[in-house]
Amino acid sequence: MNPNHPKSPFIIHNSSFNLPPSVAPDVIDASCRLPLVVLFLSAAVWLLTASAFGLIASIKFHAPGFLADSAWLTYGRVRPAAVNAMLYGFCLQAGLGVALWMLARLGRTTLAAPWMVIVGALCWNLGVAAGVVGILGGGSTGFENLEMPAYAAALVFLGYLMMAFWGVLTFHQRRERQLYVSQWFLFAALFWFPWIYSTANLVLQGFGARGMAQAVIAWWYSDNLLVVWLALVGLAAIFYFVPKLLNRELHSRYLALMAFWMLILFASWGGIPASAPVPAWMPTLSVVTTVLGVITVIAVFVNVFRTTGGKCLMRMSNPSLKFIGAGLASFVVVGFASAVTALPAVNQVTQFTWFTIGKGLLNFYGFFAMVIFGAIYYIVPQLMGQEFPFPKLVRAHFFTAALGVLLFAVPLAVGGIAQGLKLQHAVIFADIAKGTLPFLRASTVGDLMMALGHVMFLVNLGGLVFQFYRGRALSAWAEATAEIKTAEARP
Amino acid sequence: MSAQPRPSTLTAAETAEPRAGDIALPLWIIVLLFLLLYWGVVYFDQYSGGFSPEVYMPCRSTAELAMYQPPAGAPEFAGGKTVYENVCGLCHGTDGMGKPGQAPPFVNSEWALGNPNRMIRIPLAGLTGPIQVAGQQYNLAMPAMGAALPDDDLAAVLTYIRQSWGNKASAVTPEQVKAVRAEIGNRTQPWTAEQLNAIQ
Repeated sequence: MNPNHPKSPFIIHNSSFNLPPSVAPDVIDASCRLPLVVLFLSAAVWLLTASAFGLIASIKFHAPGFLADSAWLTYGRVRPAAVNAMLYGFCLQAGLGVALWMLARLGRTTLAAPWMVIVGALCWNLGVAAGVVGILGGGSTGFENLEMPAYAAALVFLGYLMMAFWGVLTFHQRRERQLYVSQWFLFAALFWFPWIYSTANLVLQGFGARGMAQAVIAWWYSDNLLVVWLALVGLAAIFYFVPKLLNRELHSRYLALMAFWMLILFASWGGIPASAPVPAWMPTLSVVTTVLGVITVIAVFVNVFRTTGGKCLMRMSNPSLKFIGAGLASFVVVGFASAVTALPAVNQVTQFTWFTIGKGLLNFYGFFAMVIFGAIYYIVPQLMGQEFPFPKLVRAHFFTAALGVLLFAVPLAVGGIAQGLKLQHAVIFADIAKGTLPFLRASTVGDLMMALGHVMFLVNLGGLVFQFYRGRALSAWAEATAEIKTAEARP
Repeated sequence: MSAQPRPSTLTAAETAEPRAGDIALPLWIIVLLFLLLYWGVVYFDQYSGGFSPEVYMPCRSTAELAMYQPPAGAPEFAGGKTVYENVCGLCHGTDGMGKPGQAPPFVNSEWALGNPNRMIRIPLAGLTGPIQVAGQQYNLAMPAMGAALPDDDLAAVLTYIRQSWGNKASAVTPEQVKAVRAEIGNRTQPWTAEQLNAIQ
């Protein structure tokens, strides 16, 4: 049989593999517009809410009597409320919005069922609101990062499924055969959260795990959410926006593949502190895998460094690249700091100090939020086909955010190490705790700076959305009330 | 679709979706990965306690294990401190310096450091009358504080006294205490300094 014969089984008929033609970017953006506006605007509102609660908690260190009469606003409730509003209200929500947009754009297809995504987003926000109010009302479960009461957790979970399902379907309907790097990360992230959230909630609240098992599960969940999920989405955005905005190829698909598998295989084992009162193999495994996380950080950094040709992203004129550059820098710092402080000799000093808190906040605000800001500042004008109403505020936001992150992260790190060294030879605990106050004051200034930046973000985002829909409403009104031309009325 | 112009000033003009280059992994990162993996396996082997659910703090060497053992030769020593602070410390002081005019010190005391057969007798039946301790004259009425203690506790507390605060005398064994108890029978009369000095 002639192998070149049209019916030959050796010839792959291209036509049988042909996918429908790519959808134009405008059409994709139009399909994403409303769901993303809902997600981003509510995320911005939650971000500000989290800042407000965080500030209340922060002020209590300087004036313990502040709002102390109200049970709803005691430190033990305000602080978890702030963390949950930040995590579930902002990080996951805005991250999902960016993820859905990237999935649609990279798949060259419209977002599947935008209305269902909106319903999912509403369900999610209802859940977060119920959760934050529940925490303030005293219904916290007491597990770190999982404080939301069961009814709120169920709503949050349902909302996520409703959004992620259409994300997976968008991925399935893609019209570009070759997958880009970011798609691996996003696809993994879509499945990662339901897995960890349902497992942690079911085991802790459903089956009622007892004793040290509770702490182990809560550590596992926090690590998987804060280290794995945030990195999956954040790195997807870095790998997408850096080459796109520079109009270059990403340096190496294999380096990205290495970062991906290192993250998937190793990062999810971390999080159990070296001194945890559990059988020795658990914290030891955590130490080893956290140190191996350095490879992920190096692989990501080298890849981006080679893509930009060694130029610093923070010094580029594009504000999105500035934000993403700051996010990448924080990612590198957090990665190395995690690896070093995982080692038992160092962990002994830094655990139970402000260093750990500072590192966690740097991961939220320095890495993830910065990358997401950069992404949103690019995406939203694309969706709207309009500029932000206050372009200067975007730059101002970058500088306040970057300065704010520096101002809280550096004092907390330095103060935390000093505190940890003093605690090694503890004389009077209260004196050591008091000694950290100057550092806390500096970090409150950082909090304030960041809160200011968040206001700028909300103003610009809200302004653009308002401007866009106002324009639409006006033109629709003009169209509806326009005089009917006689020629049209009587054909 | 949308007739409005694409944004140009704030964000970059719309560009094609990104693609990834096919440049292979640099060799050094693979070497680094395997070095870290090697370290990880060695480290895990040292500290994991063999996956045992009962090992919380594995020791890497016999030297480290020995560090956590009570000092050899004086196994009663640690318990002796507790007994001392409960029974003796109130009068003789946790520093072993005693109370001026009431309770003699143990530090550099010829009674505490001397013949254990005399020392063991004091807590078993008490002590009364004038006594010379470390160059000072005391007039005592010490009750039989140790009569109710079991042999090993009494041996531990006496060893503690003889080996603390710079004292360096031989340990007292439970067997010695038992022997002295048998010798004095059910004596309740407190000793005097002369009676004790007569004992060898």
